[in-house]
This record gives sequence, C-alpha cells and structure tokens, in this order.
Amino acid sequence: MSTINFSAREINFKIVYYGPGLSGKTTNLKRIYDQVPAESKGEMVSLATEDERTLFFDFLPLDLGKVNGFKTRFHLYTVPGQVFYNSSRKLILRGVDGVVFVADSAPNRLRANAESLRNLRENLKEYNLSLNEIPYVIQINKRDLENALPVEMIRQVLDPSSSVDFYEAIAEQFKGVFEPLRSVSKLVLEKLAQTT
Amino acid sequence: MLEPSLELYGETYDKVDKLLNDLLAKSHARYAMIVDRKGFVLMHTRALWAPKPPSLDSLATLVASNYSANAAIAQLLGENGFKETVQQGDDVGTYLEELGDKALLVTVFDKSAALGRVKLFTKKAVEEIRMVISNSSDEVPDVSFDTNWSNSTGALIDGLFEVKDDEHN
Repeated sequence: MSTINFSAREINFKIVYYGPGLSGKTTNLKRIYDQVPAESKGEMVSLATEDERTLFFDFLPLDLGKVNGFKTRFHLYTVPGQVFYNSSRKLILRGVDGVVFVADSAPNRLRANAESLRNLRENLKEYNLSLNEIPYVIQINKRDLENALPVEMIRQVLDPSSSVDFYEAIAEQFKGVFEPLRSVSKLVLEKLAQTT
Repeated sequence: MLEPSLELYGETYDKVDKLLNDLLAKSHARYAMIVDRKGFVLMHTRALWAPKPPSLDSLATLVASNYSANAAIAQLLGENGFKETVQQGDDVGTYLEELGDKALLVTVFDKSAALGRVKLFTKKAVEEIRMVISNSSDEVPDVSFDTNWSNSTGALIDGLFEVKDDEHN
C-alpha cells in the first residue's frame, strides 16, 4: 500500500525485485544505480555476505520529481534469493506496492524460477495479498546464455495464461533493465489513480 | 490504496514536531526520527549542534528492517517481541521505541548523552505523541491522485529512463 506523507508532501511506493538465487536481482539495482542521474537517486544499501550474495536486501531510493505539489518516490528492494532466507524475504514484502519477478534463463533454473514464484505467492498471503491485486511484471534475465531456454517455455511455466508483461534482459549489460521497472511503476501509479 | 501511516499533518504535525525537539533538548540526543514500519521517513528533527545526519532513507530502511528482523527473532524464541532495541557503538548509538502499530520513534545519540536519559525521554515522547495523535481533530487533507496525475508522473518516469534507453539502443 503506497504511503503518503502530507508534511513532506511525498508519495512513496515500494517495488520489490523477487526471484531465485543468482537470477540477477542485485545486478538490476546496481545497473539502475549506475544509470540514473545523481539528483534522482539516493544511496544504495546492500546487505550482502562476504561472497556478495544478498543476505537481507539491497535498497535504492529513486526520486521522480513533483507533480501537483507532491514528490513521487520509489523505493526499490531486492530479496535474498537463496531458499533458506525465506524469513528475510517475507519481511521485505511488508508494504509492497509492485513486484518485478526476475527469472533465470538457464535450463537448470527453470524449476527454481517456478519454485520462487510459488514462494512469492505464499509469502504475499501472509500479508493478505495476492499477485492478482499487486502490479507485477516478469523479467527473463540472462538471455545471452548459450543454452538459454526459449522465452515461451519459461512463460508457459511462470504465466501460462499470458496475463503478465514479460521483458527479456541481459541485466549485466543493462539490456532490458529499465523496461520492467518503468512498466511496473506505471502500473502502480495507475492502480493508485483508480483507488483514490 | 493510499495510506497515511500516522495522522501527521496540520496542527498535529506542529505539535509532534515540538515534542521531537523537546526530546532532543532534554535527552541531549542528536536526531529524532519517526519511521514508518515499511521503512519510510515520516518526520525527523536534528539538534542545532549535531553534525549533518547520514542518508535518512538508508537509516529509516535499515532501522525498520532491523526492527522487523528482531521481532521475527523474538517470535522464533516464543516472545511477542523484545522490549528494547538499543545499539551502542564507541561514539554513537540508537534507541528505538514502537509508536503505535505502524511506526517507530528512533533516537540517535552520542556519548555526550546518557543512555538512561535517552530512554526516559524517548519513552515519554512516545506517550505524548500518541496522545496528540489520538486527540487530533485535524481533517485529512483533501488530495486526489487521478488519471491526470498518474499520466504526468508516468511522463516523469519516461523522462528518467528514456535518455538511458536511447543510449543503449
């Protein structure tokens, strides 16, 4: 649920990057941080292990500017993808407004993608939320892998009804990084406009 | 949906702002900050003598996440929650109190402030802020975020990302 701060005249939204371990969630945030102008971003915070695996979350605040006197801000978070960090993933989902699900194109990660999406649905339930009501898009990352699975195959597994927007990406090279964020952000804004 | 985490506007905002400044004056702490449990900064104040604070967004996010993690640990151990969250370094520390079920009051202090005073006046401030909010008669400001607003804000998103897309196409 988006948060309004009347005194600071700000509207804040929380976007969470979800997906299996090593699918490229942190890479997305790092590339966004690299590319967004300094005046539109805050500090990036990463709570990672020594071998640079996400331990708790990464965080990046983006500042869009003012419309009608209200500043719009997006707080981007990643969750730790490794299976055993589920408690942390649940905590990060608190107050989520939109989700970018980052899927891995590697053949041996198809099951991990499906399992992570199932886990996302389960964790959202804890907050009485579901993917039917939260704006979300899917990014299929690592399209540069030699043996990358066909997009259609991944789509069949993650979204058989083709109801969600898909974006192909090579996040490491900054390809397909902004598009899913732009898409989910607009969905979040539209949802707010419909409910106020 | 849109959610004001706490009813902090109008006269209530001014009263709470005064209470936070009183807290700093009495406890000798550096900063006091009200943070939404989702990690958003709702209000903050800084003592005149205090150095410039670090990024408030980062601080708020870490404080709220740390609070959530501690609450989860307490639950794992069969507790409803831990009664106190204090962190003390060589020079600087933080003290945190729950403010209702949606927010947290964080006090940042250094070694010139006694922890006992910080705890005492932070707890007192929490009670007073609760009273001010529950007695508030301020009406929620009438704002509407309609399709025009979402289109205009969407254009800002395009503006932020377009240049970069062009560079990579």
